Amino acid sequence: MSSTKAKDQKPEPVVYSEAALRNNAVVVEYCRTSMAALSGSTAGILGLTGLNGFAFYVFAVVSLWAMFLIKAGPNWHKYYVSRQSVLTNGFFGALFTYVLFWTFIYGMVHVY
Amino acid sequence: MAELLLDPKIRLWVFLPIVIITFLVGIVRHYVSIILSSQKKIEIIQVQDSQVMIRARLLRENGKYLPRQSFAMRRHWFNNEDTGYFKVQKRAAASQNPMTDPGMMTDMLKGNVTNVLPMIVIGGWINWMFSGFLTTKVPFPLTLRFKPMLQRGVELAYLDASWVSSASWYFLNVFGLRTIYTLVLGENNAADQSKVMQEQMSGAAMAMPPDPKAAFKAEWEALEITEHRWALATAEADLLVNEAKEQ
Amino acid sequence: MASVHKIIVIVGFISLFHSAFSAAQHRSYLRISSQEFTTLPLDIIIQAVSSLFAVMWGVLNVSGKLREIPAAAELNTVKWETQRNLPSFYIFNHRGRALADDFVPTPSKGELENLE
Repeated sequence: MSSTKAKDQKPEPVVYSEAALRNNAVVVEYCRTSMAALSGSTAGILGLTGLNGFAFYVFAVVSLWAMFLIKAGPNWHKYYVSRQSVLTNGFFGALFTYVLFWTFIYGMVHVY
Repeated sequence: MAELLLDPKIRLWVFLPIVIITFLVGIVRHYVSIILSSQKKIEIIQVQDSQVMIRARLLRENGKYLPRQSFAMRRHWFNNEDTGYFKVQKRAAASQNPMTDPGMMTDMLKGNVTNVLPMIVIGGWINWMFSGFLTTKVPFPLTLRFKPMLQRGVELAYLDASWVSSASWYFLNVFGLRTIYTLVLGENNAADQSKVMQEQMSGAAMAMPPDPKAAFKAEWEALEITEHRWALATAEADLLVNEAKEQ
Repeated sequence: MASVHKIIVIVGFISLFHSAFSAAQHRSYLRISSQEFTTLPLDIIIQAVSSLFAVMWGVLNVSGKLREIPAAAELNTVKWETQRNLPSFYIFNHRGRALADDFVPTPSKGELENLE
């Protein structure tokens, strides 16, 4: 069908639908940005400083990943090409958002 | 290092307003750019041209599956000296240089107006209005190299590097809130994407060569020299041979 | 189903804000009584972290459905009626065009020359 642009046949006979791939990437990106903002706020509320804050970010990323896997269920093959990419994609891009919100809420709650 | 005590009013009247202003300016800028952006208008004649080109190409490539008469009929429609489409249609040669195209120029100007101008104006305004405050402290230690970046407008040699001045806080927000915009304005971006997909669906049609006249000429030539060799001439014999083999 | 998750997100946000206010309150209390800040009280920490997880879970479900990526998954849902709809084979420039009300026959080159 013309609505799904299939990739060229790779040696393995799996053909992915481009539109669905993009849709899933958008969903993951959305959750990742929200997660960065929210966990940054939480880190600010808790008053974490220094390395504790970054450890909290890693913790949040991993728990978001776990949530994605729980949501996808046992047959995650149907939704992601690889599980690792869900974990690692945009790790540092979201880190900036995290730091901004961390600084913001930390300033609001703990500095004054 | 003794901890500084900031007046809580700075939080209410400087720290928070900068975040809100930056965020709202970003939103407004998004919508202004939507208003200003001119929809690429596609003229019907362009679509027609590109579809004709596609049809001609298909005829060249797959014409061998048509009977000779049908092929000749279709080619006649394109190439006939008197009534052929490629002969009758006259198209003006399009201008090649984008700089001479006024639409292109205004687009570039609009991009500058919506991106650079608010940055300068709001940045200058914030610098003037909220100058000289220490607003917050980043919750992690930083080296002295970050001092000029984070403490613009507050030149204190012995201040710890992790304090952030108001002007720098504004710039941090400008760069940091980008991802939040995509989060908040996400629906719109999604709509854009589906629009792109729709265009792809309605044929590669929009990608019309800039100069239809030359394209027509080339296609006319290609079609003229195409030789019709019917691929199905021996279809029946092939079928019978295969049947015989299988039995 | 989606509305449940939306409620989770909203409640989680309110709870997160509440814990932020509690933390700010605690901080100002410490400052007034001139004590040193070590950690927040345990109940605020628990509230903040649990509301974070609630909101994350809610956002995950609000953000939209994941679609199945193998191309075959979508082809399986295509109806039989639409199977014959092949956009690549659309042709509008056929002789049926002449039946339309606003049809103007294209003048041929010969006719144009005759006019002059």
